[in-house]
Amino acid sequence: MAEALAKNAYTGGAHAPAKKATFDLFARPTAKTGLVSWLTTVDHKKIGMLYGGFAIIFFLIGGLEALMIRTQLMVPNNRFITAQLYNELFTMHGTTMIFLAVMPLNAAFFNLLVPIQVGARDVAFPRLNAFSLWVWVVGAILLNVGWLSHFSDALKGFGGAPDAGWFGYAPLTSRTFTPDLSTDLWVLGLQVLGLSSIVASLNFIVTIINMRAPGLTMMRLPVFTWMALVTSFLLILALPAIAIALVEVMMDRNFGTSFFEVSGGGQPILWQHLFWVFGHPEVYILILPPMGYVSEILPTFARKPLFGYPIVVFSGVAIGFIGFGVWSHHMFTTGMGNVATAAFALATMAIAVPTGVKIFNWIGTLWGGQIMTRVPMMFALGFIWMFMLGGFSGVMHAAAPADAQQQDTYFVIAHFHYVLIGGATFALLAAIHFWFPKFFGRMVPEFWGKVSFWLIFVGFNCTFFPMHFLGLNGMPRRTWTYDSNMGWNEGNLFATLGAYLLGIGIFTYFAVLIYSYFKGKVAGSDPWDARTLEWSIPSPPPEHNFAAIPTVHARDAWWYEKHHKEEIAKEKAEHIKAEESHGGIHMPDQSWYPLFSAFGLLVGAYNFAQIHQPLVLFGNQVSASHLPLAITGGVIMVAALYLWALEGPGGYHLHLGPDGKVTESRGDH
Amino acid sequence: MTRTRSDHRNVFRFATVFLAGLSLLLMTGCAWAGKVFSLSGPQSTMVTEGPVAKAQWDLFMVTVYVTTFIFIVVGSVLAYAQIKFRAKDEAAEKAEPPPQGHGNPLIEIGLIAASVILLVFIAIPTVRDIWYTHDVPEAEKGNALDVTATGFQWWFKFEYTSEMVKLPAGGEAPLVTGNELVVPAGRPVRVHLRTIDVIHSFWIPKLAGKVDMIPNRANFLWFKADRPGYYYGQCAEYCGESHAIMRFRVIALDQPDYDKWLANQKLPARTVAAGAAASAEQPKIQFANYQINDGHALAGSAEFDANPLAAWHRMQAPEAGENAALVAQGRKIFQEKTCVSCHTIRGHEGMGITGPDLTRVGARSTIAAGVLENTPVRLAQWLHDPAHFKPGNKMYYGGYVVQEGTGFNATWKQNFTLNDTEINALVAYLHSLK
Repeated sequence: MAEALAKNAYTGGAHAPAKKATFDLFARPTAKTGLVSWLTTVDHKKIGMLYGGFAIIFFLIGGLEALMIRTQLMVPNNRFITAQLYNELFTMHGTTMIFLAVMPLNAAFFNLLVPIQVGARDVAFPRLNAFSLWVWVVGAILLNVGWLSHFSDALKGFGGAPDAGWFGYAPLTSRTFTPDLSTDLWVLGLQVLGLSSIVASLNFIVTIINMRAPGLTMMRLPVFTWMALVTSFLLILALPAIAIALVEVMMDRNFGTSFFEVSGGGQPILWQHLFWVFGHPEVYILILPPMGYVSEILPTFARKPLFGYPIVVFSGVAIGFIGFGVWSHHMFTTGMGNVATAAFALATMAIAVPTGVKIFNWIGTLWGGQIMTRVPMMFALGFIWMFMLGGFSGVMHAAAPADAQQQDTYFVIAHFHYVLIGGATFALLAAIHFWFPKFFGRMVPEFWGKVSFWLIFVGFNCTFFPMHFLGLNGMPRRTWTYDSNMGWNEGNLFATLGAYLLGIGIFTYFAVLIYSYFKGKVAGSDPWDARTLEWSIPSPPPEHNFAAIPTVHARDAWWYEKHHKEEIAKEKAEHIKAEESHGGIHMPDQSWYPLFSAFGLLVGAYNFAQIHQPLVLFGNQVSASHLPLAITGGVIMVAALYLWALEGPGGYHLHLGPDGKVTESRGDH
Repeated sequence: MTRTRSDHRNVFRFATVFLAGLSLLLMTGCAWAGKVFSLSGPQSTMVTEGPVAKAQWDLFMVTVYVTTFIFIVVGSVLAYAQIKFRAKDEAAEKAEPPPQGHGNPLIEIGLIAASVILLVFIAIPTVRDIWYTHDVPEAEKGNALDVTATGFQWWFKFEYTSEMVKLPAGGEAPLVTGNELVVPAGRPVRVHLRTIDVIHSFWIPKLAGKVDMIPNRANFLWFKADRPGYYYGQCAEYCGESHAIMRFRVIALDQPDYDKWLANQKLPARTVAAGAAASAEQPKIQFANYQINDGHALAGSAEFDANPLAAWHRMQAPEAGENAALVAQGRKIFQEKTCVSCHTIRGHEGMGITGPDLTRVGARSTIAAGVLENTPVRLAQWLHDPAHFKPGNKMYYGGYVVQEGTGFNATWKQNFTLNDTEINALVAYLHSLK
């Protein structure tokens, strides 16, 4: 079935119905440039860039939120911001950085790289891919719309941004304790983001399993693509848990159920289990793709293959599996009982082993290499060092009785920022720098890249290293202020100054990128002497990625091609000829409907969140509830999905002339 | 690349100078830098004062030793590889690639085995301490004191379930205090953890790690204070707007002092004998102009912090120069301003259970759940503007102001105000409750 589907998508013309789309409400868009081309795109590279662009904007917003938090904590008994705003800031800092910055940045790289690394021309379901993107945007809007209430009195009904913590522990999320709309929007927003992730994950699983180029066996897959596959499986298995939990909170808040309502016999502890059985795999969802970037970057700049590829892949899969068996280490202080606590403590120690294995193998990769310390390599090496430190404090948490002192203190803050900034973010910054020339065709200046690296590295450590000590000295997290006789004054001041330095570093990093976009030196197709297929095609890649679908002969496919040029050239010429005889390169058509259905979802979810509130337009009450608008949104979404199905896959062909010129033909299938 | 290798060297030189400068700065400001990494605060988990906290810290140090060992070994190899295998110049980068080795299964399996063995060093004491820190050891169970702690947004109620007091209306009930848990030193204490609203977490870093107070769940923890002392505690689970300032204290006394304290607690609220210093003019408390961040700790003046336990002992005795008339006036205001509907003063008026029991509030070292030192000035500031010190608290929202309307249209309407004279009398009254 799956193979037939993939074949159908691939050769399209042979299987598609002869007539045009059965129903055409909106003319099928064909714009290649301009706003419409971006809104209707199904090209995985454009979608990847949209994911990346939005994610970087939210990364900077989340960073600003962090700087406001650090400013408030700079001195004891500070009144820079109110307790309420502080709680909104740390809730949204966590939610934003996880769901709206690191996850979509990873999604951006999945989109940009996976199809090319498997030697395909797009993902398996291009319109579904666009749908994932726009649904993600809907979730981001729902989560952040509450901020508007701080800027306009007319919008104060939102009650501020969500303020129950990114982990939203019941019963704090019940109507009794957080009556405002922000929590409803948070619940719906996360639900919508989960939908986006599940759809995208299914797309990537099908792409990786079915659309690999000839010769690309699973054990020849680039490690990054492997990690994308494992991550996708983690997402589709972990997200249902939180989806269920969020539905239960929504029912409690709006329809009088008692899943977590204490007065109705509900069990708030249930939320914690459901949340963390999602939340802990989520940690690996955030960190496995970065392990993939590093596993691509280190071999490139050490100029030798990854040490122990099978073990690196296997440990990634093992982390994925064990990652589902350690969730309760977030709950060592909830009184689970000794046996459960011991079991989760030991499982947590066990997961340190495959993580350690990866570090050993990265060092093995460097051993005997010719290390070129370019900026991506510096970030990747910084990743190994910082992630190692974060891993050590992770093992400390696994010792459950010791964790009873560390849980919910700044020690934990230090730990997971070493993993998520020192780990995930360093790897992402390495990846952005590494693949920038590929997708924008320009190099980033080394000097300024290194300046930003050192600012970020020093700023990061000044911010977070003292937090270990603050935590051991008894400073709890999520605290708006602290008294001046606790011995925390100097550590907090130092951390805040470090955070400003880190902020300057991040600003420098992105300023240099913007400069490079306009003024950077033009990059060739393979500026780093790299090893995987994306470096075999021009920078930036053409719409169809490959002139000829490559045949993979070895694990580092492009490295092999570079060292077997004649054999490959002959092979490619044959492939181009064969494909032209089938009608040319088949490309998917753009579509409006992913965007329209996401718009319907936005209208529906936004109004459903406030279903019990009267609908007020321009100061007049229009309806007793938002139900009519919620239904309208649902109808728009379903209608768009039907039109999407009826418009058919469509598609057009590209033909490569002997001079390398590309011509397009339509309506010939 | 527009930049050449000499530029890269410049960056490294810049980085080296920067790091050197930074360490110099750290060394010259050594005293200050020492404070950045201080572990001697009143909530330090390193300065342990009881067997539970000590077991937890010792286990933590085991993890520190093991991970430090791994860090030294792995870090050295990584640093060596980075330096040794670095391409020396541009020519080296363009040279023939090094041998394309794919790995070495023996080395990898060896490293996996080594990691497992090192983890066993942590796993064994971990499992042992999970059982040890869970409950009072069997041998000491008979000697243990059972107390129930209940979390409220944002303060703690303590009930001595084995110490019954006679209620004025007849019958008896467990002794209740708020925000200061007084226990005998050298005896194990089992604290039963309950909550009235959301999840809180009960944490006295120097005595024991935290355990959560979860609705519909019967959690408990135990600790033992090795010696008499004054210990800081704090809620450690995010519980809403004023979570940051939901604090409490544990005061450990030797057995005779504890017995004396207990005997006094069981009595009804104290009444100041009429006529005492009635003629003396009470000095007015200045509070209208206050600055939250005036450079002093809100909950501990220098004098207090010098010896908190002694300061607590001083609080137990009635203050000199009590003005019986003023105290009586305060008692009247306490009723008129509806304070009684939320607070209990056993033996006087009030049966409220929304706020802390105030039967002996004058003998507590802090008010507002460990936020403010219990001086007349701080108490007056608190009564003047409780929302300033504890945003969202029910004494202000529900007392001073009450809600009108619901949902988006809800507004807060002034219910009562306290003028300076009234606050003055209230402070005198509350401080007389020793």
